[in-house]
Amino acid sequence: MTRVAAFSLAGIRTGRPEEYAADLTGLFKELAPDLVVLPAHTSLLLCEAWGLLEREPDFGGKFKLFTQKAAEWNKRYFQLHSELARTGELYLAAGTTVEKERGKLYHTAYCFGPDGGLCAQQRQTHLSREERSFGLSRGEELHLFELAGMKTGLIVGTDARHPEVGRILALKGAPLVIHTGATAAGKESRAQPAGIWAQVQQNQFWAAEAQLKGSIGGRSFGAQCAVIGPCEITAGRTGYLDRESEERPFAAAELVEEKRLRIKEKYPLLKLLRPEAYRGRLPELYR
Amino acid sequence: MALDGWKERLFRQYLYWVCRPARLRRKLAALVGEKRVAPPVTGRRLRVAALQVEIELFKDPLDYAVEAHRRTAEAAAAGVHLVAFPEDNNLPLLGMLPGVEEMGEAVSAEEPDQAPAGSGAPEITVAEVIRYIGPVIAPFLNILYATLAAAYGLYLAAGSFLLPDGERVVNRSYLYGPGGELIGMQDKVHLMPIEEEWGISAGDELRLFETRAGKIALPVCMDATYFETFRILELQGAEIVILPIANPEPYNYWLALRGIWPRVQESPVYGIKSALVGSLLGFEFTGRAGVFAPAELTAGGTGVLAEVESPEKEGMALAEIDLEALEKLRSDHPWRDSNLALYRRYFPGIYEHIQMQTKQSP
Repeated sequence: MTRVAAFSLAGIRTGRPEEYAADLTGLFKELAPDLVVLPAHTSLLLCEAWGLLEREPDFGGKFKLFTQKAAEWNKRYFQLHSELARTGELYLAAGTTVEKERGKLYHTAYCFGPDGGLCAQQRQTHLSREERSFGLSRGEELHLFELAGMKTGLIVGTDARHPEVGRILALKGAPLVIHTGATAAGKESRAQPAGIWAQVQQNQFWAAEAQLKGSIGGRSFGAQCAVIGPCEITAGRTGYLDRESEERPFAAAELVEEKRLRIKEKYPLLKLLRPEAYRGRLPELYR
Repeated sequence: MALDGWKERLFRQYLYWVCRPARLRRKLAALVGEKRVAPPVTGRRLRVAALQVEIELFKDPLDYAVEAHRRTAEAAAAGVHLVAFPEDNNLPLLGMLPGVEEMGEAVSAEEPDQAPAGSGAPEITVAEVIRYIGPVIAPFLNILYATLAAAYGLYLAAGSFLLPDGERVVNRSYLYGPGGELIGMQDKVHLMPIEEEWGISAGDELRLFETRAGKIALPVCMDATYFETFRILELQGAEIVILPIANPEPYNYWLALRGIWPRVQESPVYGIKSALVGSLLGFEFTGRAGVFAPAELTAGGTGVLAEVESPEKEGMALAEIDLEALEKLRSDHPWRDSNLALYRRYFPGIYEHIQMQTKQSP
């Protein structure tokens, strides 16, 4: 049994590093999870909160400025979250930051293990129109890593809306995916079940989904954190093991792997895939 | 072969007689009266209807034709250019077989683990029943829906029929044009486990049909469980995906959400879901017929243009779809992306992992 939690960062004090660490550590103690997932843009949010992006007024401006500062900033960001994972004795998917390699910028999620070491990183593979305008490049691989005995994949940002990502991870053998998201409040957030929830239902894995709740550069983010499983093994068949609420800015639940394996056996969705019907179409039709 | 004795052959002659084209045509001529024409398609906007049909068995196929006509006429009166019937839309004609109604009542009364298969009677598979009755009802259905499409001058998706095709039995959907012409057919590609038990064979190709009303595809029910269906169709150019369903389970909003709605959000197309509801042979069918669109093209970002209120009663969901708006969204999509390098790295090889997954499962 694995206990997972996803935080929206609402109610977490971000103004000073020690306050941020104390608030997160408090929640770690309260929930006693094996894994905590933080939302996308955690790094950007902290960088802004600590006064390093002040001269840009809007989200786009702040993001572009952040890409210039990321290499230096990331040292602090990694050190802080590595330490939080180590002291909390848990896996910490620390949201996303921007990394640069061979002149290319990537939007990347990082996960630290209970020893504080980096155990996984995943570049976002699909970019929104706005993200492309920021000069980001796409990652071209999807990785799995071991998390408390479970093969786990990371799904970054709008990759949640591209079902190829979940399918590849599922067929590589992931029983658990971690999603670090940040979805604009309003219309976009209303379509949230078309993202990770839908990927869970068509792949029958678990998902811990962290969604940012808050504002950066005047842009509000408003989707919900959730722990998701196949509908058949959740109360009311909703597919949700837990969801964030107004009073509780996080979702937390225990994953009972035997239940998931039972439903996979009874209703073997992946076995019923029809590769013969996709042959000559995927990937050939993609543009 | 349990259904090739002299009694069965004789009875089939009777079925041919009650389903004969001349009898059906006479009835339809009386029903339709003067030929009507749907309003012309202006620009790229269409008015469409997704039907929710409450199942009942008919002993006389003309009664089935009367009901099909009534529903088509109601949709035409609402000014639609396209109307869609549900999955397994030929099951009501099983009422022509003696004892089917009684068997249904008996199955309903039984405990779930005491199905009549253990009653000592020779076992007959669903596929065998379809092979027996299929050659009789296939031409009947073709004449019926072609005539209705032509009579009302609209595009008519007749839903899907379980029918024999050579040695195979398939779950096949049909689309007729406003002249009554058969535009295309699609065999269900992803079968439910129970359909495999019934002896149904899967199709292995997803097809697209170019019409004056847009590029239309006709996958069936379970096909919408898999993103691959809608992705392939979208990449081929589909604008409208018509999905007939017959879900044999109690209605649950979240279970129902696993089909066409997320697929339309992943692969921007208009989705028309027609649903079979009601009880038959111990199965309880539920669903809410509806018309769906990418969230960006709907008020409030719901992704729903129209939906029948009840998951159990007859109804019709009516909506207007705008293919020009769809084209514009696709060309200027806010979050949609494509990553060829990623897809080429993993597809199609990743599907070979299905075998591995199978072995890993208990």
